[in-house]
Amino acid sequence: MSVPPLDVTKAWPSLELEHGRQLFRAQFSPDGHWVAAGGQDKLVHVWELEKNEKKSLDGHKTWVSSLVFHPKEKKLFSADYQGVIRCWNYEKSDKPVWTIDEADGDNVRALVVTADGKYLISAGDDAVIKVWQTRNGKLATKLEGHQECIFSLAVSPDGKHLVSGDLYGSVRQWSIGDWKQIRELDAKLLHTRKENFIADVGGVRSLAFSGDGKLLAVGGMKEAKSNAFCPGKPTVLIFDWATGKVKNELKIKGKSDGPFNALRFLEDNTLVGHTEILHTASELTFWKIDQPEPMHSIKNGSGYDLSLHPDKRQLLVPTYVPGGSSGNGGRGKTPENYLSNTSVLRIFSLFAKPEGKKEG
Amino acid sequence: MLGNLGGLVGFGSLLHPSIAKQIEEKQKQVCLIWLDGGISQYESWHPLPESKFAGPFRSIKTSIPGIHFSELLPNTAKIAHKISVIRTMATKDPNHSTGVPRMQRGDPLDRGVDYPYLGSAVAKLLGPAEPELPPYVWIKPGNGGFIHREAGFLDARYGALALGDGRPPVHIHRPDGVTAELDAARNALRQKANERFRAYRNTSDVDAYETSYDMARKLMARKEIFDDEKLDPKDRERYGLHPLGRHVLQARQLLEAGVRFVKVNSYHWDTHGDNFNMSQRLVPQADQPFAALINDLDDRGMLDNTLVVMMSEFGRTPLINSRLGRDHWPDCWSIALAGCGIKRGAIIGDTTKDGAFVNGEGYDVGHLFHTIFSVLGIQSHRQKYRHKGQKLSIANDDCEPIKEVML
Repeated sequence: MSVPPLDVTKAWPSLELEHGRQLFRAQFSPDGHWVAAGGQDKLVHVWELEKNEKKSLDGHKTWVSSLVFHPKEKKLFSADYQGVIRCWNYEKSDKPVWTIDEADGDNVRALVVTADGKYLISAGDDAVIKVWQTRNGKLATKLEGHQECIFSLAVSPDGKHLVSGDLYGSVRQWSIGDWKQIRELDAKLLHTRKENFIADVGGVRSLAFSGDGKLLAVGGMKEAKSNAFCPGKPTVLIFDWATGKVKNELKIKGKSDGPFNALRFLEDNTLVGHTEILHTASELTFWKIDQPEPMHSIKNGSGYDLSLHPDKRQLLVPTYVPGGSSGNGGRGKTPENYLSNTSVLRIFSLFAKPEGKKEG
Repeated sequence: MLGNLGGLVGFGSLLHPSIAKQIEEKQKQVCLIWLDGGISQYESWHPLPESKFAGPFRSIKTSIPGIHFSELLPNTAKIAHKISVIRTMATKDPNHSTGVPRMQRGDPLDRGVDYPYLGSAVAKLLGPAEPELPPYVWIKPGNGGFIHREAGFLDARYGALALGDGRPPVHIHRPDGVTAELDAARNALRQKANERFRAYRNTSDVDAYETSYDMARKLMARKEIFDDEKLDPKDRERYGLHPLGRHVLQARQLLEAGVRFVKVNSYHWDTHGDNFNMSQRLVPQADQPFAALINDLDDRGMLDNTLVVMMSEFGRTPLINSRLGRDHWPDCWSIALAGCGIKRGAIIGDTTKDGAFVNGEGYDVGHLFHTIFSVLGIQSHRQKYRHKGQKLSIANDDCEPIKEVML
């Protein structure tokens, strides 16, 4: 079957997987047959797309904070806000293959697997990157240098380098194999601490390499106005990987005021990102990275993650769905009608909709 | 009485003479820690990790068997047996602009007047604990000065002396070129001018000016209580080096010196966005100095006479919004109290399983004000303000003290 030509301006929602609680992470499996998602209900949910079947893997005792598939084996790794990582054989068993109980002094925020599949890398609140053997969950090494909570990790397309981004806007490059810090890139623009704040706001919430490895996109938000609402300007910095200099700063057109939690490059070097906004629709945004303004955007609820299908034509977004009770106060609400907010895993097809095909 | 006096012997010379005098005279004092914007009850006093509305944080055991707080309150969890927590506040108002004054004025029945904020009310109803100090000091970020608006319809002199960023009032030090005699003569002239002015003007305004000058003179005589240099560095570490830590430590110093009512404000708790990352950084800033203050007052024998209240204008929604924040929720939330007639270890309140709603009636701010006044020895139903010939209740007539948390 021929692959339709990529055309993000004609992207459309081709499938929706509803879930009764809020989901913050979602990923396609490397073979594209599965979707895994996690969030507020402590479970790891796995959908087998062709059969339209879902199963839930029970084990985490708090919100699931990160998910990543093994690139070659049928393994899924999940992490939570109590520093626990679990490895699942998601096809065959509901029980974890192995568990790391204290992968972080506090919360694990990010997971990534090296291209050869040998190492699972985690990072979070204690600012120390840990490298684990994927086959047994044993610690291989630790990488120290960050001064604050690490929110994001990415591996370069050639598999040789790891990048990590923290609350203060420090992006560090590490060599995979001998595990040395190579350099630090400056994304401090994405961190705000004004004189009257009582907490640091922002940080490097997302990292993505272009397919040719020549560009690194660093996402978050700049110029936060307070540490309460935490409203800022969603921002992406495009670094030239060779020089480590910022080539461009990308903006959004719409009104979103939260950080970019996820970024992905498409095969033609179009960058896609998603952000959040309070109580209204956000948008999925596409850029040609030499232009600061988006080339296209699609209205969507707040989105917290992005995953690109191996066919490079489908994009998965865990999307916020209000339960009808949002906002201040509970006037008129009762325990019976005060309902949880929910999610939909929305899959956007990045090409023109075939005639007669229905959305969702 | 014997117990109190007996207890004093153990503290010996550690106690400042003014503290010993206050304890002996059983002077009641108050420290109100105000977390402006609204601390989340789920990320503090009522974590309910199995609730569908729970955040990602653990709940931890406290010093009271079977009672859990959020892991973001590790220090307070250790002293839970010294405090009370009301988990069923139901206060109606979901807005900051009206919720803050309502919670600090106590919402007596509307008689068309601006009621005083709690600190001014206590200053009026109990007077100064130490005559040479202002009865109501407010430590707050930002600017300081004399904030007469806090007094509402009371005379402006019951307003708050605000220490901006915890700094002492400007010009607290008499210039070297002004001798004590010259200063006294200058004050006498000012008072004479005020008397003439008073004959033809609103006396409340003159009183406010007069009060400001009086306070300044009193503070000049007690300027050592603002001297940060004298604070033990270990105390600073225990309370925290962040503004709230520094300000609560300063509050302890002012309470020790004999100030009747100290309010400490911390702003930016209105976590509509990124509630969990923010709570992770904010709640410990309240936990650390709150627990340190309770312990220090207890160690000094002051806790039985000093009421400590930590609260906001409301709690935060059970629902988690699109920015991973929580919005305003006055329908079921928590406050903490300790000392001065408050039970130790009373963690009260029956809520729905997920913590979203109160089972039963809940407590409004009127109940809270009756409780506060009652433990301070003020007869909250009988005692009245007099304003322009009108008798005005000091707390909402329809409410009663919360007996469950009172000794």
